Amino acid sequence: MNSKKSKIICITGGKGGTGKTLCAVNIAIMFKNEGKKVLLIDGDVENPNTYLLLNGKLENKKDVPFFKPKINEDKCSKCGLCAQNCLANALLHIKDAFPIPILTVCSGCQLCYKICPENAIEADSKTIGFIYSTKINGLSLFLGELMPSEARSAAIVEALLEKFEEILEAEPEKFDIIILDTAPGAHCDVELLIADADIVIPITEPTKFGKLDLIRIMELIKLLGKESRVIVNRSSLLGFREQFLKELEEENIKILGDIPLDSDIVESYCQGTPIMDSNSVFDREGAGYRAFNKIYENLKKWLEITK
Amino acid sequence: MSIIAIPSLGNGGLNDQMSPRFGRCASFTFVEVENNEIKAVKTVPNPAANAMGGAGVQATQIIGNNGANAIIVGFLGPNASSGLNALNIQIFQAPNQAITIKEVLNLYLEGKLQTIATSNVASHYGMGGGGRGMGGGGRGMGRRNLP
Repeated sequence: MNSKKSKIICITGGKGGTGKTLCAVNIAIMFKNEGKKVLLIDGDVENPNTYLLLNGKLENKKDVPFFKPKINEDKCSKCGLCAQNCLANALLHIKDAFPIPILTVCSGCQLCYKICPENAIEADSKTIGFIYSTKINGLSLFLGELMPSEARSAAIVEALLEKFEEILEAEPEKFDIIILDTAPGAHCDVELLIADADIVIPITEPTKFGKLDLIRIMELIKLLGKESRVIVNRSSLLGFREQFLKELEEENIKILGDIPLDSDIVESYCQGTPIMDSNSVFDREGAGYRAFNKIYENLKKWLEITK
Repeated sequence: MSIIAIPSLGNGGLNDQMSPRFGRCASFTFVEVENNEIKAVKTVPNPAANAMGGAGVQATQIIGNNGANAIIVGFLGPNASSGLNALNIQIFQAPNQAITIKEVLNLYLEGKLQTIATSNVASHYGMGGGGRGMGGGGRGMGRRNLP
């Protein structure tokens, strides 16, 4: 990703339920409020729900195909080379019989398709999920969705990133700011998105789970050589704020800001009207609103120095 | 004549213990049966015991390549079950208890084992550890085909 015009900000966090999507949506909206052209990419493909927080609808559904080997029995010599070389053990080959693909094991690597001396393996495909592209209140949204029971979620994230790169290539200035919202965890779906970002914002909460999962995601961010600053959500939870911030400081973790427990945020979340939307009815002096504003100011300053 | 495969805990053979795991058992005992009598016994180590993934499929390949018509299992995962079904190998459910190859084979010969059509545990159930299994939790074992 080399369009230096646009900034790519990845919102992640290790632990589930810390407020990644809440932050991604509201940060996207704050940039949009200032007239920036913003693209939000929902890469939490097992539970994509940014559109719910934006009170929008999913549109322009496109299938995501996944490679599936198909044996052409007219060409196959039953040599078994495909099964011997399949690292996933996804081809069942009994001597003097045609190999049988076991699709639940197949990683989609296409090695069998490439090495078959008879060209007897055809590249068939099956749909494992969808990507959507839509615009909600001036905010562009790409969203990936993995079909239930399918395992290859990273292929959906890759499809999202491919679509995104195609657009950037054709129109490098189409977007000023791109926000990537990741799944919880530190697995390959998350890694793909962090790897594409300029800066990374992990969202955490002042609990032991929050800290443990934050440290795991920080390791991944460090491995990928990215700069990060953390948002502590629900920071007023049971009065642990100061202690938690101090603990993060001891781990040399930089803080972008913190968001206290706030009833306006909960209400906005329940209604699907982002608190930072310029048309929202929430108190501009409320603790939640002010916290987001402060985070936005800090984020802009940070983007200045990372130019 | 038919050949029955039985996952084995050690090196296999009639006196070995049956392994509750299929894809990751240590070895397989193949018993050739004719007119309800044991004609021959052969053991084959299971190269899939420590496979990274797809152990069930690889183990199914061993079963198929040794000409088995039927297999007796404790726990069976979904990938192995699709493979066995694709090869038309009959699957029999062993009782949920520690049992020797000979004992479970006798139950089979007496017609006391029921066939199952699909898996009875999720993928990777038999990974790691090793002790987990028969006589322990016994999730799903032997219950699936009760009327």
